[in-house]
Amino acid sequence: MPERKFKYLSKEWTEEVGKRLKKDLTPEKMKHITSSMLTIYTNCPDKKTRALYYKLKDGVVESVSLVEGALPKAEFSITADYDMFAKISRAELKARSALMSGKMTLKGNLVKALTLSPTVDRLNEVIAKVPTEY
Amino acid sequence: MPEKKLKRDDPYFIDFPKRIKAIQKEMAKHGIDVYLGSRLRTLSWTVDAFMPWRSYIVIPPEGLPTAITFVIDAARVQDDSWLDQDHILGYGPMGGQDQVSLLSGLIKPHLKAGKGIIAMETGMGTYLPEGHLTLFEFVMLKAALPKATFKNAHDIIDRLSLIKDAGTINRFREASRIVDIGHKAVYEAICDGGYKNMTETEIAGLAAYAMRKAGSEWEWSFTGGNEIASGYRTGLAAGACTPASRKKLKTGEPLMVDLHAMFRLGLGDHSHNYFLGKATKRQLWHAKNFIDLLHKCLKAYKPGVSPTTLADEMLAFTEERGFQDYMVPGFEHGIGLMGDEWRIGLNDGPFEYWTNPDHVYKKDEMLICAVQYACPEENVGFRYENPILITAKGCEFLSKFPLSIDVV
Repeated sequence: MPERKFKYLSKEWTEEVGKRLKKDLTPEKMKHITSSMLTIYTNCPDKKTRALYYKLKDGVVESVSLVEGALPKAEFSITADYDMFAKISRAELKARSALMSGKMTLKGNLVKALTLSPTVDRLNEVIAKVPTEY
Repeated sequence: MPEKKLKRDDPYFIDFPKRIKAIQKEMAKHGIDVYLGSRLRTLSWTVDAFMPWRSYIVIPPEGLPTAITFVIDAARVQDDSWLDQDHILGYGPMGGQDQVSLLSGLIKPHLKAGKGIIAMETGMGTYLPEGHLTLFEFVMLKAALPKATFKNAHDIIDRLSLIKDAGTINRFREASRIVDIGHKAVYEAICDGGYKNMTETEIAGLAAYAMRKAGSEWEWSFTGGNEIASGYRTGLAAGACTPASRKKLKTGEPLMVDLHAMFRLGLGDHSHNYFLGKATKRQLWHAKNFIDLLHKCLKAYKPGVSPTTLADEMLAFTEERGFQDYMVPGFEHGIGLMGDEWRIGLNDGPFEYWTNPDHVYKKDEMLICAVQYACPEENVGFRYENPILITAKGCEFLSKFPLSIDVV
């Protein structure tokens, strides 16, 4: 039976991401960080802007939610085109390269962001394994 | 506002939140919505950290300022500063994290519909690391904030930083104490023929080692750290800048030792002069001229004196004694926390960004008494530098190393 694929940035895909992050990432792996992060996807296929809001408390991914419209406040926000994020999710592009090229922008304290980047990479690794239809 | 690191009763305590509030009061008075500082002197005076990389501070109309520096040094600056990690940010070559994006992002919330007055720091200086806003930075910020008006407003901080508070003065006193330890180490190393086979760079290094052992953070001067000159290099025409060279010290030659130490951004700067092994009568005549002039000079600094009145008095003395040809006709340069060097007082003289010769000294101003004697035709010269504090009736010279020109 073919593996079930989730439509990228759909409600189901978001729920699957949240489920896997909670299951696969231990507080130790996530260095007990408490933070919040928004990934803002511009130019989605339907021309809308969507965002994923991640809330972490003491290394536990408390929630992952899909946001349309008014964005909640977050410690970090990362903005890029839908296509750019899709490339990162498919492991075709490193987030660091996207940031260095200026095609992805980061808002938030860069020192903290660099400290947290290996931890965020772990989060991305889990997301990349979600069977996704782009 | 938080107070970090030093307690109020610490001799080196400086009330930085009070400084920020004073700037904000001046901003309000001048209709400034946000202050963008970029000069090294401004950063030292507001952040209380040495910021060697291109850095900025954004001061809002109220509340805490945010400083930005190169990301590789941001955590260290934060560790040294009174500001917390949310108010010391790092910039780097990443989307949204470059200098212009960060600065415009910090400035925008203080403008109304993008309009308002942004104070900037521009100008001209003899001091290379001054840190004025560059043309490119200005053009990029103007493009990012097109409706805002930029106004050169460094006078605000120059005026506020002119009179030194107790913490600043004590930091300078400690830096001078450390410099004196460096001079003692040099003296002990070169006396009784110890100078033989030594080079100028070696003198600079051994002084640095002694001062570092005593707690100096850096031989701060951009002129090559400790400036050492011997022989003809002491008497370069109109010269007052001698980074140490590999020249070997020779018997019968003069040696000029100009040491720099830094303590919590307070700066020590003292020069002492020697003759190596022996001195001729003529060399000793030059030395006596110089020392007599310095005694006179140090007695002259007091409130009410200006660079012009002091120079007139000193140059009259040099003429009376017949050594006017050997004097560089200046007797001081400005000083403040790291980055504040050279110009004295405000930018209000006849030549833009030079000392106003009619600047009148007031109590608790500091300057470097800087006197240079140069006789190129005889390969002899001397330098005196010492941070001095203008007191109610005279001055306090902070380096206490005995004033003399020694034959060692």
